[in-house]
Parts: sequence; structure tokens; C-alpha cells
Amino acid sequence: MGHINPTLSLGAALLGRGHRVAWISLDASLADRLPQGGELLLVQYDQDDVAKKNSEQYLDQITKKNVSGIESIKFLYEEVLIPLNRFMFDGIITILQAFKPDVIINDHQLFAGAIAACRLLIPYATSVTAPAAIKMMEDLPGIHEWEIKQIVGLQQELGIPGDRSVATSEALTLVYTSRHFFGEMSLPDHYKFVGPVIQNRQVMNSFDWERFRGMDKHPRILVSIGTTFDHSYKKEFFGKVIEALGNEPVSVIVVSDTALFDTWPDNFLVQEKVPQLELLPYLDAVVCHGGHNTVCETLSHGLPLVVIPIAYDQSHVAGRVIHAESGVRLNYKRFKAVHLKEAVWDVLSNPAYKAAAQRVRQSFEQAGGAATAIDLLERLAAPPPAGGLAFDRKRFYH
Amino acid sequence: MDAITTQHKLSNEEIFTILKSFITEVIGEEFVEDMDISRESSFTRDLEMDSIEIVSFSEKVKSHFGEHIDFTGWLSSMDLDQLINLKLDDIINYIETCQSSK
Repeated sequence: MGHINPTLSLGAALLGRGHRVAWISLDASLADRLPQGGELLLVQYDQDDVAKKNSEQYLDQITKKNVSGIESIKFLYEEVLIPLNRFMFDGIITILQAFKPDVIINDHQLFAGAIAACRLLIPYATSVTAPAAIKMMEDLPGIHEWEIKQIVGLQQELGIPGDRSVATSEALTLVYTSRHFFGEMSLPDHYKFVGPVIQNRQVMNSFDWERFRGMDKHPRILVSIGTTFDHSYKKEFFGKVIEALGNEPVSVIVVSDTALFDTWPDNFLVQEKVPQLELLPYLDAVVCHGGHNTVCETLSHGLPLVVIPIAYDQSHVAGRVIHAESGVRLNYKRFKAVHLKEAVWDVLSNPAYKAAAQRVRQSFEQAGGAATAIDLLERLAAPPPAGGLAFDRKRFYH
Repeated sequence: MDAITTQHKLSNEEIFTILKSFITEVIGEEFVEDMDISRESSFTRDLEMDSIEIVSFSEKVKSHFGEHIDFTGWLSSMDLDQLINLKLDDIINYIETCQSSK
């Protein structure tokens, strides 16, 4: 999942300022992606603990299930987030008691981190990697209330009474987008729109740059729909991509399992993973599922989008792209190859989309990014002593 | 059509026709041709509308019937399961109820 990405950039910047930074995760492979000096604290349970072992296998399988539309939100909470957070909670508490951090940063969907922070009375900030979820509060409040009910249920089970969600910190909630892209909505002051935080990430994925440079057809587009869907869905989706763009005068970089089809069109370059941030400067447009990270990374490069939202909050992210006039949206269930072809040529040939994408980029740059986020985090770690500021002012102004 | 709505109570059939035209506007005429939109159609499963399409449909309902019904309030009171199962008929009935309570 891309939720880890902004914290990798934030962590790199924090380490650069001399802080000690550790990541709590279930995923041992995260070690390879951490910035230099970052520590990985793995949530691990005793081999004998059958219940926990079963949960681990369950979580591994469940995340690959096909879901779409509003129903996917029910699935996400009931089948993934609540079990995952319940599973991780004990491990997080144990790790925090040993590591004793000054500040905890929890992803807004990893509320076990926030619950643990509250239980141990450690200040925490929340990292909002899917800001469209906030916007959904306004559009369909029934969904938001239902989500809060699920979170509060788990909180009560884990020892926090009351019916207010602690998932997002009232001290500091970092939202990785700009006000311009997010849209109008009145929110409390602790929501800080710092823009996307994408710098200083480890480049992990090798890429056939030679083949890429040899691709002589312009424009160049990237097609990526994330990793969590199963074979038959992907086959149907990429089948349409091939039909739409196979014979077009464009170069197409596709993020997919290459074995999905025996042959791919000559103007396609297919890799299971690509170094997206390194690739974006050479592209002209991106076709994606409306995941917040990919959308923001694309707009950070001032490129237009074709968004085909599949599940979760992606529909709302797509809504923001349309509202900002920086792309075209297609319905995942209904679109045919011809619609994709038209949409791609539309965003490539009408300069208004690119101009709008560049306005979003500008708003991202103005939001401050990692430096602003870190200033806010440092303030949270070491609040000025009570009365200290007033005393200083007196000294200077009298 | 707007004049009629402000003066007369719409029949069940008239409301159905108006709502169908809003669905067509939201998802596009060429797709609707292949679809069988009935009163029993659910927005999520049958019409395969995602949340942003449901929001834009509800905006059309709001701006058309705005003064006469509290559609936003009604929709807001629905929890996730109710939204997932929401059918065209539920909205038709709600609008009819609002009309007859005047």
C-alpha cells in the first residue's frame, strides 16, 4: 500500500535534522525502503499464538479480494481495517513501551497507533494519506458516521471509553494535499494542508531505461491501477487498455504482471513495478485508478490524468481531479476501450487539462511540503513551556 | 416541467421519469441504452454508480425538488447499508410522501 510513502519522505527529512526515527510495521520488507538511519520495529507475535498467526494469514489473503463502489468501504472496515488494527494493537503497545518516542505519527487508517498513543499518553500526529475520506464527510455524511462507529467500537474494546474517534489527532493532522485541490470545507485548525510529501524516497524498482529511451512514439503515458486486484479483473482492464492504445501513436508504460498476456503491443513497455517518481518527468499523461498518491504525484509534475476509480475513496479523489479540471473520469464498470482512447486523446490534445494540472502543482508547492510538516512535528514534540513565550515577549517589548 | 412541479403533485410515474432522466445525465446516454432502469434498480449494484455519481445524482434531485423536499437531510440520515441498498423506488416514495404531507 502507498500509505507508507509520505512517512518515508517525512522520516528522511526528520533524520536529516538529527532526530531518531522508527517505523512500526508488520512488513519485514519495509526495511529495504526506509531512509538511511531509519529503524524498523516489526510487530511480531509468538509462533505458538495460533489466533494471531491465523489473523496474519487472513489479512494476507483478504487484501487481494475484488471489491468496488460504496460496498468496498464496508469491506475495508469490517474485513480489513478493524481486524488489522485489532491484530497490531498489542504489538504496537509493546514496541512503544520499549522505544519511548516523543511523538507518534499514525496513519489515519492505522487507528491502533492513535489508540496506543492515547493509552500511553504520548503526543501523536496523524498522517492523512487518503484525504478524500475527509471530503466524504460532507458529501455522504452517513458513510462517515458509519466509519466512526466502527473505529469507536474498536477503541472501546481496547480500553478507550467514550464515543469520540481518536483516529485523527486533535493536536496535529497532516493532510498531504493543498486546499486548492481538496476543495472548500470548513475544518478545525489542527488539519494542516502541507501538500504532497514525495521527496527523498529510496529508488527501489529497476527499470528498462534503455528500452524506454528507444521508444520513439510521443506522447508517452503511464497506465497504473495499483496492485490489489486479482488476475481476472486485471485481464479485463488491461485488455481494454490494449484495445484502446495498442495501435495509437503513443508510447505506453504499463504497470502490470507481464505474464497477464502472451504478447503486448509493440508500443507498450510492461513492468510489474516502475520507479514512478523518476519516470514522471518524462511523461505526458497518466491513466490510473484514482489512488491519492499516484494522483498527487502526477499533479506534482503538472500532468493531466484519466482517472478510473475502482474502490474505497478513489471515486472522491477522481471527483477532485474533475473539480480541478485536471483530467477526465471514466466509470470502471462501464467504460469500453473506445472511451479510454477518447479520454486519453482528450487530455493530451486539450491544453486546458495540463494548465489546470500545473495550477494544482503550484498550489502543492505553496503548501510547504516536508519542511512545513517537520516544523509542526517538532513543535508537537517539544511544546514551549507554559508561560515561556509570554515571558520572552515581555523581555523584548518592555 | 419545473412549472408543473411547483403547482401540481407529481404522479408516481412522473417522478420515475424525472429521476430516470437524471440518471441518464449522470452516467451518459450511450450507457443507459444497454441498461434496464426500473423502480427496483439499486444505485450501487444494478446501476453500478460509485459514490461521486450518487452525489451528483442527488445534487440534481436537490436542485429540481429543492424547495419541496429535504433530500440532503434524508440522504444524510442513511447509514452505509441503507446507501448500498438504496433503490430508485425508495426515492420515488420519499418524494411522494413529501408531496402528500403538504
